[in-house]
Amino acid sequence: MSRIEHATATRKGMISQMDSFYSSVGRVVFAITVCASVVSRPDSVSDRIMAADAITDVADRVHALWEQERAAEAEKSLATMADDETFLRRASLDLVGHLPTPDELAAFLLDPAPDKRAELVRRLLDDPRFGANWARYWRDVIMYRRLEDRAMVVSPALEAFLRQQLNNGTSWSAVAEQCITASGDVRENGATALFVAQDGRTEESTAEVARIFLGIQIQCAQCHDHVTDRWTRQQFHELAAFFTRIALRPKKTAEGRSFEVIGNDKPRQRRRPANAARRGSLEHYMPDLEHPDRPGTLMQPVFFLTSEKLPLGASDAQRRATLARWITGNPWFSRAFVNRVWAELIGEGFCEPVDDLGPDHQPQAPQAMEYLAAAFAAADHDIKWLYEVVMATPAYQRAAGVVPSDQTEKQDALASCCWQRLRADQLFDALNAAVGDSGQATPARRRGKAARAYRRSPRFRFGQVFGYDPSGDRQEVGGTIPQALAMMNAPQIDRLIQSRRSAWSAVLDELPDDRAVIEELYLRCLARQPGPAEVRTCMNYVKEVGERREALEDIMWALINSAEFLYRK
Amino acid sequence: MHDVSSPLGGGVNATARLAARRAFLRRISAAGAAAGMVPWTDILRASTRELRARGTACILLWMQGGPSQFETFSPKPGHANGGETEAIATSVPGIQIAEGFPQVARIMDNVAVVRSMTSREGSHPRATFLLHTGYLPTASVKHPTLGSVVVHQIGRSASELPGFVRIGGQDRTGAGLLGATFNPLVVDEAGSPPPNTQPATSRQRFVRRLDLLGQLAEDAPSASGGRRQRAEHQELYSRASRMILSPKMNAFDLDAEPDAMRDAYGRHPFGSACLLARRLVEAGVSCVEVVLRGWDTHQDNFDRTRKLADAVDRPTAQLIGDLKQRGMLDRTLVVWMGEFGRTPRINPRGGRDHFPRAFNVALSGAGIGGGRVVGKTDAGGTTITDRPVGVADLFRTIYTALGIDPDHENMSPIGRPIKIVDGGEPIQELLS
Repeated sequence: MSRIEHATATRKGMISQMDSFYSSVGRVVFAITVCASVVSRPDSVSDRIMAADAITDVADRVHALWEQERAAEAEKSLATMADDETFLRRASLDLVGHLPTPDELAAFLLDPAPDKRAELVRRLLDDPRFGANWARYWRDVIMYRRLEDRAMVVSPALEAFLRQQLNNGTSWSAVAEQCITASGDVRENGATALFVAQDGRTEESTAEVARIFLGIQIQCAQCHDHVTDRWTRQQFHELAAFFTRIALRPKKTAEGRSFEVIGNDKPRQRRRPANAARRGSLEHYMPDLEHPDRPGTLMQPVFFLTSEKLPLGASDAQRRATLARWITGNPWFSRAFVNRVWAELIGEGFCEPVDDLGPDHQPQAPQAMEYLAAAFAAADHDIKWLYEVVMATPAYQRAAGVVPSDQTEKQDALASCCWQRLRADQLFDALNAAVGDSGQATPARRRGKAARAYRRSPRFRFGQVFGYDPSGDRQEVGGTIPQALAMMNAPQIDRLIQSRRSAWSAVLDELPDDRAVIEELYLRCLARQPGPAEVRTCMNYVKEVGERREALEDIMWALINSAEFLYRK
Repeated sequence: MHDVSSPLGGGVNATARLAARRAFLRRISAAGAAAGMVPWTDILRASTRELRARGTACILLWMQGGPSQFETFSPKPGHANGGETEAIATSVPGIQIAEGFPQVARIMDNVAVVRSMTSREGSHPRATFLLHTGYLPTASVKHPTLGSVVVHQIGRSASELPGFVRIGGQDRTGAGLLGATFNPLVVDEAGSPPPNTQPATSRQRFVRRLDLLGQLAEDAPSASGGRRQRAEHQELYSRASRMILSPKMNAFDLDAEPDAMRDAYGRHPFGSACLLARRLVEAGVSCVEVVLRGWDTHQDNFDRTRKLADAVDRPTAQLIGDLKQRGMLDRTLVVWMGEFGRTPRINPRGGRDHFPRAFNVALSGAGIGGGRVVGKTDAGGTTITDRPVGVADLFRTIYTALGIDPDHENMSPIGRPIKIVDGGEPIQELLS
């Protein structure tokens, strides 16, 4: 069945379903409104549509290279295109971190426009929730590697900073430059987060800058020349010399304890205490491994990828601003970002782990990665542009793993978009959308208690159980026992299921027809209609249990505990 | 350790030992034939380890905040630095400990004390990480905590119970690079079941819901992929629900203990936690960590440590005695420690500050020689004068006693091999 035929069939099915829906009229009106809004697009959108052809060209080229390099290697056929339901849920979770509502689903399925997928992607990129979603992703990238929990004080500011930058369309190079050169009160300037997470320590901060912005794990060279990579100990410490003057200074304010990141160009001379590394020193010394008590070798700031250097004595501001320029102008910078976005959207990076690009690792589809990285650099590191390109590729638009069952999972992964576990924030919002009411579960912050309120918010606590390091091995990101226990039994979730005031409960009251309720629950939880076998099982279950409300609560429970709910497919 | 001199020594009866060895040799010779050759001595050493690992467990009594060595196992009466704390005799002639630990003193023949622990890390979070993992925290490699290593190495995967339970709240050390499977299950307080292990509904309805979940998983359109993830999800949910429904979860119920036993451990959080630790190990849990906070005595050191000693002394002695009486002590290692010690100098607020340079830990069980003291400090407790023991030495000792190879390498996410313990030497005096 072609994509158009499929869409038509789905739409017909959808419309006949909707006749039985209490809200069908409202939903169609909503659909028409959405379709109409497509015609009168806001300026930022129409600007980008001008470049739409260019985006399609790049996407086609990347995909041709990728398919040639990957599919040829696996000698296999590729998956069919994902249906519209699947695409909408995937794109919504990927871009804005939320499930599509049943109304949005109806509108999307009814939209006859041939370019509605591209249009959807553009619309979601202009949604402020795009910035919120990816700010949380990058917050996790940085904060999961924190050395100490007190670093969490920077988290709210970091989220706010990134949200604003991403929604404003700031380029990735500008974001990186702000992070590398950041200073000031860490509760006000979230761009300082990387240094806060590393406790202001020179070597640790160096390693994180290289890992996050270049995709290079140079820290192994901190103690010894690396066996598999080509960087030397000296090159690591020359890079560290750019960060040596950074200090993390505790600060007491009326609002409680905080820190500030400063460039310490005049550190007091003092006996070197054990934690001198976080107080900054004028110049960096590579420790003498044989004689740890000696001062070591003085290091000039040199950027290992290009050998560009600064003189000794350069100020902190000079060091960091210069290095930021060199880093963001380097091809590794583009590769690292392109690899991350590709990995998060397709489900498998060109390089895995996503923050370990090399230089001596062989990426999958190296030409596709090189081409995409170069195009991203040519597009001035425009973040939204990159999402549009990747999401326009057939690799992104295919059904997940629709392949003959005898093929291995490894092959499935390259054939198509693969299943990925929702991040804690996505799951939190999905739960609220499915069983909760507004999704605004975070209480209003009281003045002076922002940090505490942040850490006590339901979202934060949920993250403590359901969060994971987004740079980790994605094969390993399955669920955990405490997560399964919480989804099944947590009183907070159970209360939502049982609540008579929740939105899902209203559905139950307003729809007398059990079948219609079951369909609505599938739409709310899984953003799709149930198949015939599922309807049969649910209908039988309601009959067997006898008690309508109780049976439907159980069905709701089963849906939010299903694999499909917990993953984006 | 008995490894080299008597490879099949240990407390297992001869028949079982021989049967186990036969089974083991069959396995290893098949592997050896495939791989080439396995040296005979390695086989013996490995089989010893396997035997000992059976049923081996670890209980970590974690003294959060940095317990004062002067007020625990290294008193210095008669010196200004010792303050008002007196020393008392123990069941082992020649060994004296601080007056707050009379019950532990009575079972001193089962306890070894290291008085010459030394590290350079004086910040709570970093030292806590160090004394849980043997490594300092880094951004690139998340080193696994003691309990996670134990479960990973010698845990029983078939058990319905979690392999590693931490009682008394969160801290940041976990399974790290070993993967979330080996994280602790955290129980806030002994006496209540671990969070979310009780069905939100009736048991009957919970089982009904599970059936529905399974049926709907079968009904779901298979064309949407994710075969591996669906299978993993099913496996996870079946493990979690087995745990929820398992009668073994009664191990968490302290009311199942006779009143006399509850009294013997003491009816306060630490006493109950020690009792729970024993019950869990008995039920097959491989590592239990009991956290007691409050040792950061920058002020009023003497009052506060007296109260802390009151809370710790009886449960600790009771735990060791109880394990011994049940025949579990020879395969259960009890470790008593915190992240560092406290300054010899008493500050103007009557407190002691952080002092990683010389502190103490205590060990009991799993073949550790009791009634022994390792290391010495000078009269004022400021400098180690004999047998300094580093953190790597301590961890090497702990893992060796548990039958875990400290040189075993785990892979970091970027494919770098990381030893369980980097460097150090086991404390031979305690292992023979």
